[in-house]
Amino acid sequence: MKKVLMASLSAAFLLASANVYAIDSTGCGLGSMAWRGQSGIAPQVLAATTNGLFFNQTFGITFGTSGCDPNGRVTGGTGRMVLAFMENNMEQYALDASAGRGETIDTLAGILNMDSAKLGEISKQNFAYMFDNQNVDAVNVTLKLLEITQA
Amino acid sequence: MKKFWLSLFIFLSLTNVALAQVENSLSWLALVHYQKDGDKYQSTIDSETFFLAQDGKTNPKAELQATINLFENTKDTEKKCLFPARYKFLQKNGLVSKPFPKCKDLEQFYDDLRPAGVTLLFTDAYMNNPSSLFGHTLIRIDTARKGTQLLAHGANYGAFTAGQENSVLFAVWGLTGGYFGGFTVKPYYDIINTYNNIENRDIWEFNLNFTPEELDFFVAHLWEVGHTQTRYYFFTQNCSYMLMEVLDAVRPSMQLSQQFPVQTIPLDTIKAVLQCQGLVKDINYRPSRQAKIKHRYKMMNDKQKEQYLEIIHEQEYDLRGLSEAEKADVLETAYQFVQYQYVAKNLELDEYRKQSFKLLMARNKVTEQGSIAELDKGKEPYLTHDSIRAEVGMGFRNGEAFQEISYRPAYHSLTDDNYGFLRGAEINFLNAKFRHYDEQNKTVLQQFDILGIKSISPMDAMFKPFSYEIKWDVAREYNPDTEDEGYVTHLKVGTGASYAVTDEIWTYAQLNSYVAYGGFLPDNAYLGLGGAIGIYADFDKWRVLSEAEQIYATDKFGEKTKINVESAYTLNRNNALALRYSKEWRSGKDMEESLLSWRHYF
Repeated sequence: MKKVLMASLSAAFLLASANVYAIDSTGCGLGSMAWRGQSGIAPQVLAATTNGLFFNQTFGITFGTSGCDPNGRVTGGTGRMVLAFMENNMEQYALDASAGRGETIDTLAGILNMDSAKLGEISKQNFAYMFDNQNVDAVNVTLKLLEITQA
Repeated sequence: MKKFWLSLFIFLSLTNVALAQVENSLSWLALVHYQKDGDKYQSTIDSETFFLAQDGKTNPKAELQATINLFENTKDTEKKCLFPARYKFLQKNGLVSKPFPKCKDLEQFYDDLRPAGVTLLFTDAYMNNPSSLFGHTLIRIDTARKGTQLLAHGANYGAFTAGQENSVLFAVWGLTGGYFGGFTVKPYYDIINTYNNIENRDIWEFNLNFTPEELDFFVAHLWEVGHTQTRYYFFTQNCSYMLMEVLDAVRPSMQLSQQFPVQTIPLDTIKAVLQCQGLVKDINYRPSRQAKIKHRYKMMNDKQKEQYLEIIHEQEYDLRGLSEAEKADVLETAYQFVQYQYVAKNLELDEYRKQSFKLLMARNKVTEQGSIAELDKGKEPYLTHDSIRAEVGMGFRNGEAFQEISYRPAYHSLTDDNYGFLRGAEINFLNAKFRHYDEQNKTVLQQFDILGIKSISPMDAMFKPFSYEIKWDVAREYNPDTEDEGYVTHLKVGTGASYAVTDEIWTYAQLNSYVAYGGFLPDNAYLGLGGAIGIYADFDKWRVLSEAEQIYATDKFGEKTKINVESAYTLNRNNALALRYSKEWRSGKDMEESLLSWRHYF
């Protein structure tokens, strides 16, 4: 049963997150923010006084992009929200999960409609299962998180 | 049938008298973003789709009639769905009888946002970046979703620059309105990642005291302007200015946009909002990642510091002799530092993942929580001195008395009170100094600083920023050989390093290059190289900047040795007393100057 659940969840996520892979080959795992880093004085000086937006449409048309989530708004059902959140906050969630508390846990607990302390405890206990190697990606972590919180 | 008569009645009863009250009301003018232009009106918004009447951009009356017509007499649902706030406005004024149509996209917008409140956000300066002192503002639509406000949305008004940020054109278009600006909406967690974690800027949250009705109107109006574009001017019609107009649309009596006819400095808009009675109900501080790391390091005990530095520099995990709670603090801070390093491009992806993962595994094994309290207080940027500075003073130059008046439209010098500003950051625009010399009995433009940026950022065990200076000015110079005076344009670019002796006293050394140009110079121009060393002390109310500078130049005129000591004492937020002494040696002759002045900010 669990396998069927995992398989169907996986399929659903691959559909929901097809763009994840299109955007950046490093995926949206740890280090997904690389492409957005600021460095050097010149771009900073310009950016600071100008507030440039790096794409070209207002939100009425495409909503812009947010990290790996092409929609750019908090939307959809539980699974999609958890995935979108994980794609953008996995670095912080990894830390909060290892410690068993934190803002990302409070947020995810809200999305999953469960007690924050409980989610912290589960996350800490299952940390090594969710983050089983250094190249984990958000889809995997999300699937495992949904699995352990449904158990 | 009844409805038809009602709408006909409404339409017919719109006599000029009745309509005049509405069309010239502050609410209508603010809603369509009309600003007075002489004795006419013109809307700030540039998108043609924002106007329903042919001359709607300049004719509030025609636009009002066209809006009523849209909702009363047409079936253009798509168009109607673009103007939910206008509909609410008409409804409130009894000018519409038909119901608002069902709008799928708009309903989705409300459903995603789940609005619960409005928060104005101010993002503070980047470390080591004086030109970011002006800050940036955006707005958050708080959410009623379960969890935290990370699931709220930020609305950001910015220019669509299409990847030209590093070209010369960027500045030109930016200043002349060559780019369009518009709103984008993103989850708040994305905003936090951008500002707190990538750019390392503190975020200040100003919770606005809107009624449920105002909140609803705000979101509806955001939807309206979210579909428009407007020419973007970096200094005037910028991110912050548009937010002022949007807030005015919600509460027209505030007339916030009226306060920024010339320049809109983001921080000034925050100050203006705080001045509106009862508008801000709560203020919250979200420190940047770098600020958090610095705070946590400062709070560690010596044993923790030692282990922490070993971890971040050599990946050595001894952790011996630390309690569980102490270990937790060390590992969590080290993890944050690795994230910082990666974003700063000081780590390759592989190495970053390896280090992160190792720290997380170690942290996961620690059974207790850390005991260092998170940084929850910052120096409030809205308590800084105001942006414009006028200075009057008197002094002596080689024994001759003079009086000086200077005016600086923006923004902050190292010797101005640093409270609430990034310390060690200076940015001055268009500072003009006029002097009257007693003996010669003449008044001259002594100096005009076009742009001056100086950043002194001490290096420490974790962060290794460069210090730097860029200065472009026109100054009246004295030639000791001919005893003539004339104007010279200078450009100086320097870079160096700084070291903090104590929290208050910083030293720095800098290498500079110079270009000078002016008909007054013996050969019209010279190039120079040189260096400077300085001490910058900031005891809050009292600041002292002392610098010794040596210049070698292609022309004898450019060669000089200079010392400069500038000191200022804060009287209150917007007043200070300053004392400056300088001496320079050129061609074997020296020139000595002293000045006592009063600085007033407004």
